[in-house]
Amino acid sequence: MAMAALRREGRRFAPLISPRPITAVRSSPPALSHEDEGPIGVRYVSTQVVRNRMKSVKSIQKITKAMKMVAASKLRAIQTKAENSRGLWQPFTALLGDLPSVDVKKNVVVTISSDKGLCGGINSTSVKISKGLHKLNSGPEKETKYVILGEKAKAQLVRDSKKDIELIITELQKNPLSYTQVSVLADEILKNVEYDALRIVFNKFHSVVSFVPTVSTVLSPEIVEREAESGGKLGDLDSYEIEGGETKGEILQNLSEFQFSCVMFNAVLENACSEQGARMSAMDSSSRNAGDMLDRLTLTYNRTRQASITTELIEIISGASALEG
Amino acid sequence: MASNGAVPFWRAAGMTYITYSNICANLVRNCLKEPYKTEALTREKVHFSISKWTEGKPEKPTIRSDSPEE
Repeated sequence: MAMAALRREGRRFAPLISPRPITAVRSSPPALSHEDEGPIGVRYVSTQVVRNRMKSVKSIQKITKAMKMVAASKLRAIQTKAENSRGLWQPFTALLGDLPSVDVKKNVVVTISSDKGLCGGINSTSVKISKGLHKLNSGPEKETKYVILGEKAKAQLVRDSKKDIELIITELQKNPLSYTQVSVLADEILKNVEYDALRIVFNKFHSVVSFVPTVSTVLSPEIVEREAESGGKLGDLDSYEIEGGETKGEILQNLSEFQFSCVMFNAVLENACSEQGARMSAMDSSSRNAGDMLDRLTLTYNRTRQASITTELIEIISGASALEG
Repeated sequence: MASNGAVPFWRAAGMTYITYSNICANLVRNCLKEPYKTEALTREKVHFSISKWTEGKPEKPTIRSDSPEE
């Protein structure tokens, strides 16, 4: 991430400024910070190096500022979509409930992440939660598989969970996100993966600075039947009248597929919002960091410049006084 | 789960409810008049790359990039 890279640059720069100059090597103690003057007779590092460093830091600052603006505008566009999509799954939760504690044999964890980087820590938190879910749901007769959306989670999960991966989907954001795209995706997942419960891990967008990782659970129709017998919210399903000559089993199947599609749509949108928001704050802090670095470099530059001028003056004057006799 | 009576035709043909609703939505979109029709149809393009993994090994990724089903 840019922030960490800039900080590393700053630390790398400090030993460069200490009196081990590129131009002339005199005897100098190695452990001097750039605040000290150094022993007399040592020429300082040339101002050219400092100037180059300042130029590159300034251009990095401009880039991160621009990225922040871009992320802010993308966020605005996608935020309204995400908030409107919340109404799609809320009736489902009201009807079928969200049971994260359901105990099933075949769990599938759908991890949603971004394709692009420089967006702070949201992808790592999603992966961490997915791994936690995997651990939570492992045991005799229970298995957990991963379905991964996005390059960033793929990179992290491929490293240690290779044999549990079922599907990997990337290049999702080439076209602007729409329900059609996500529903086709959900369809592919439903066709290729056997599941009793689908747990979708994503970052819910609460505000520009807060992204909460959340898990939404979608059950397969068989499990819904099983849970309905144990009462609770699902037990009230029988009190609904079914029109149209379909059986309860068929309706449950249709509902379950549609629920998955809606929950995926909302999850993908919310994750995209969180990604843009996280990118905004990451780029903001790296611009600020670059600004701090620039201030420190300017001070060092001026100090170096003044020291070299003073040295020159001293040489001239001592040379002149030597001539006078 | 025994199904009483006939399963709907699309379920018997192997489609999920999602595919069915997408096709219906596309039919509705095609009923629009210009210029809203082209707008709606460009909005609904699908593109992603999916790769199935078996036993820790990825198979060749297939790119699913199509205009909405006709």
